[in-house]
Amino acid sequence: MQVGSVGSDAREIARAGDFVRFDKVEKSYDGRTLVVRQLDLLVARGEFLTLLGPSGSGKTTTLMMLAGFETPTRGLITLEGRDITRVPPHKRGLGMVFQNYALFPHMSVRENLAFPLEVRGVSRAEIGERVTRALDMVRLGKLGDRRPGQLSGGQQQRIALARALVFEPKLVLMDEPLGALDKQLREHMQYEIKHLHERLGVTVVYVTHDQGEALTMSDRVAVFNDGRIQQIDRPRTIYEHPDTAFVAQFIGENNKVDGTVTALGVGEATVTTAAGQAIRAEAGPGLSLGGRALVSLRPERLSLAHGADAVANHFPGTVVETIYHGDHLRVRLEALGRDDFVVKAPVSGSEALVPGRTVDIGWRVADGRALPIETPA
Amino acid sequence: MSHAPSTLTERVARIALVVSAIAVLVFLVAPILAILPLSVNDSEFLTYPMRGWTTRWYESVFASEKWRLAVMNSFLIGIPATVIATVLGTLASIGLAMADFRGKAAISALILSPLVVPIVIVAVGLYFFFAPLGLTQTYTGLIVAHAALGAPFVVVTVSAALASFDRNLARAAASLGAPPVTVFRRVMLPILAPGVASGALFAFAASFDEVVTVMLLGAPHQRTIPREMFSGLRDSFNPTIAAVATLLTVLAVALLLVVEALRLRAERLKTRAGD
Amino acid sequence: MDRDVDLAKDLKRAERRRRMTALALIAPLFLFLMASFVAPIVDMLRRSVVDTELAEVWPATAAAVKHWQPGAAAPDALYAALGADLKASAEARTIAIAARRLNYALPNGRSLVLNTGRALRADDTAPASWRDRLIGLDPAWGEPATLVALQQASGPATDFYLLTAVDMERDTAGAIVQRPAQQSLYLQVLGRTLMISLVVTLVCLLLGFPLSYLVANAPARTGNLLMILVLLPFWTSLLVRSAAWIVLLQDQGVVNGALQALGITDGPIRMIFNRTGVVIAMTHVLLPFMIMPMIATMKSIPPTYMRAAVSLGAHPAVAFVRVYLPQTVPGVAAGALLVFIMALGYYVTPALVGGAEDQMLAYFIAFYTTSSANWGLAAALGVILLGATMILYLVYARLAGMGQVKLG
Repeated sequence: MQVGSVGSDAREIARAGDFVRFDKVEKSYDGRTLVVRQLDLLVARGEFLTLLGPSGSGKTTTLMMLAGFETPTRGLITLEGRDITRVPPHKRGLGMVFQNYALFPHMSVRENLAFPLEVRGVSRAEIGERVTRALDMVRLGKLGDRRPGQLSGGQQQRIALARALVFEPKLVLMDEPLGALDKQLREHMQYEIKHLHERLGVTVVYVTHDQGEALTMSDRVAVFNDGRIQQIDRPRTIYEHPDTAFVAQFIGENNKVDGTVTALGVGEATVTTAAGQAIRAEAGPGLSLGGRALVSLRPERLSLAHGADAVANHFPGTVVETIYHGDHLRVRLEALGRDDFVVKAPVSGSEALVPGRTVDIGWRVADGRALPIETPA
Repeated sequence: MSHAPSTLTERVARIALVVSAIAVLVFLVAPILAILPLSVNDSEFLTYPMRGWTTRWYESVFASEKWRLAVMNSFLIGIPATVIATVLGTLASIGLAMADFRGKAAISALILSPLVVPIVIVAVGLYFFFAPLGLTQTYTGLIVAHAALGAPFVVVTVSAALASFDRNLARAAASLGAPPVTVFRRVMLPILAPGVASGALFAFAASFDEVVTVMLLGAPHQRTIPREMFSGLRDSFNPTIAAVATLLTVLAVALLLVVEALRLRAERLKTRAGD
Repeated sequence: MDRDVDLAKDLKRAERRRRMTALALIAPLFLFLMASFVAPIVDMLRRSVVDTELAEVWPATAAAVKHWQPGAAAPDALYAALGADLKASAEARTIAIAARRLNYALPNGRSLVLNTGRALRADDTAPASWRDRLIGLDPAWGEPATLVALQQASGPATDFYLLTAVDMERDTAGAIVQRPAQQSLYLQVLGRTLMISLVVTLVCLLLGFPLSYLVANAPARTGNLLMILVLLPFWTSLLVRSAAWIVLLQDQGVVNGALQALGITDGPIRMIFNRTGVVIAMTHVLLPFMIMPMIATMKSIPPTYMRAAVSLGAHPAVAFVRVYLPQTVPGVAAGALLVFIMALGYYVTPALVGGAEDQMLAYFIAFYTTSSANWGLAAALGVILLGATMILYLVYARLAGMGQVKLG
């Protein structure tokens, strides 16, 4: 299969400078199963790259190899052209933010921030100045003398961020840094980290299993599954043009309709279901005429009844239930041979959507994506 | 216990529980307190009621060459033994926490076995073993014996501290540029310090209260405080013993409070390391 | 395939380096304990079967007696060797060693050897028949029992001490038999040791349970305070606690005073320097070791289980017995085993607050080491005590897991 398919955008960025490069990196913990397989990855200077995937997909191991806490079983990692595969962590000069912050409990906030500068032999006066600047950067200038235990989760998170940045590393790694925060604070911190990245121009490699976080913050997202990069591209491309069924399913919600490819044109395919319903959709990579395929349909791209004639696909569906979500209505229907077909409909004008009612579901060719069904390796 | 007692039986059961628990607490604590007043009792006999107040028993303890020597011996043996036990025990705990290997369970069991092997077996073994080496009736012999008895205490407390040590802290320090030795010195050691310190106090207390090895291996001029107490209790139980007992109890309370304070401090560091 | 082998090899190398570092850190303590703890104990255990004393002072006799068949007539050569050895050792003043060794096995072994030696030393004539000469000095030399004792003492290994430690011996035919009652002691001591340990363990369990329950379920602040009270005796010197019990339990002591004041007894009840005193003082010493694992276990039992049982209709007493108690078993078992193990080897407390009839195995081990210098027997008793301790320790380690050993 196509490994870490380097999209056109990615190639462009890669030319801008191979800042970090993974070359056929593999990792095994037990000598038998590979946690990371044949990984090729380029990170450009200044970009915000997110490694996204379910737990056990290899994303954290990849980050740990970059940080130096794990050694690749084989393959090469370079930073600015220098081989760092076996360089110990403390000589890599990378900043790192940990999930549980890993602030030193026996040191004050200022002592925590001073630590990386002290071990680098920076002068006392300069340390004080730079620590103050870093604290101001995360707007916690007044809390310098507190112990980490006396800070809230969000404050600890910002201190951890400041500590990873205070020695001005060129590359900052973040391992699910927002995982321990509640939802509201997490969203707020997402913007804060994004703005810091934009302001400082530092390169960030960020690990998360939260797709929303990946989409909001990143320049590029690498979707991991089973030790491989399934797709690496801009968030919008990942979301709207997934290359594999896994990516379509892992990122955002989608309705999957499977069938056989009955027509394959330039950028467009027709997939016919077992019941003989033909769906026209954007063709993903790797489709073959007569092969099995599934069509991935985003619930928010589907419309019910209105102007159905104007679009390429429209099929009848029977409303099973509707669930009120405040800003939208989730409608579950029986359609295209499934009883869990979901459409997100606007709340206004939804009075007609009562269970049992037959409606017309419609969408444009570009709103569906036909992808080959993966055969188990 | 968390729900309010409702029925009569429950109330009776609860009262019975509290009363019996308090009775057991009295059993644990009262005897120790009972001997203290006799150290200032103006009587040759160790009996109540009190006859009047005196400090003469303390004076005779402080004036006694025998007790002065015993105190010196206790520290002369206890402090080096504690230092050896603490250094070796701390290193071993780190090693045990570091990697899994075959035979690890057996090695841990062996390292901890001085806690349960009857002291008399150890003492008799050393009695025979030290004789050809010329170590019986020497401070070295007693220090070695007490270090072996104290080391497992250090291993237990330091291992507990290591078990709750957040490995990400060491990783964070490394990622911030600290070489391994700095990571150990500036991050691991300060956080493990309470565990190491309470292990050292346990080891010292174990040495400070040990009679049997001193009895079998020690020379007459090497009698420690508990050894003198042992003789005193058997041969001439008089109020000076009560005075020494009081001093030892004060020391015990001090050690207990220090260890509790260390435990609380370790607990605080632990919660801080988390979230 | 090769790739996988490679992979495994790379991994092993990294693992090995880590293991080597770990071992290097463990090694100092391990070697220290090997030298200062394990080796001395092994050496001591060795002494329970080593028997070279007689062969060192009477080499010819030891060699000759090996060829003798019990039941057969003793050859003249054996008597010749014995006579020569007796005389030589009497002159070299090493005869006391042989006398002591034979005395372990023969009721009058010491006087037999010493008297014979004294007579031979004074007489420089070589007798025609050593057999007649020796039997003439003491008819005991002609008895099979004496020759059997000689043979059994001829080394280099013996089961004599181990048999003695369980009140057994070999008869003149070499079969293992019970010792006569007036020479039996150690089974009784072992039984006494086990009995005292068992009673102390049960009392600890009985006293420890309610207190542990109260401490484990008290609010944090009260719990901490109670815990300090529990730990106070743990930190207080064993000697101080023994002294305290002597003061409390003596005939003019606080407890007897109170009993008489309350009119429960007329005269003082003897409570110290006997079994009662030993059990009370040892319970006091060992109770914290019972309470600490119980509290740890009880703290880990969420109150929701009891609530769930009650909400399902169980009477609180039923819920306690059926739901709560079974969950305390690991802590109770760990605590009880720990107390029992520690009680087995106690020396100081029984020595201070017990009478002659209350001394446990440890006392006899120390006694035979220092006072009577019967090292073989001390070692054999040590084998029994250490064996019992180690078996229980392994059970404890399995039950509680080595990581569960906690202090304070």
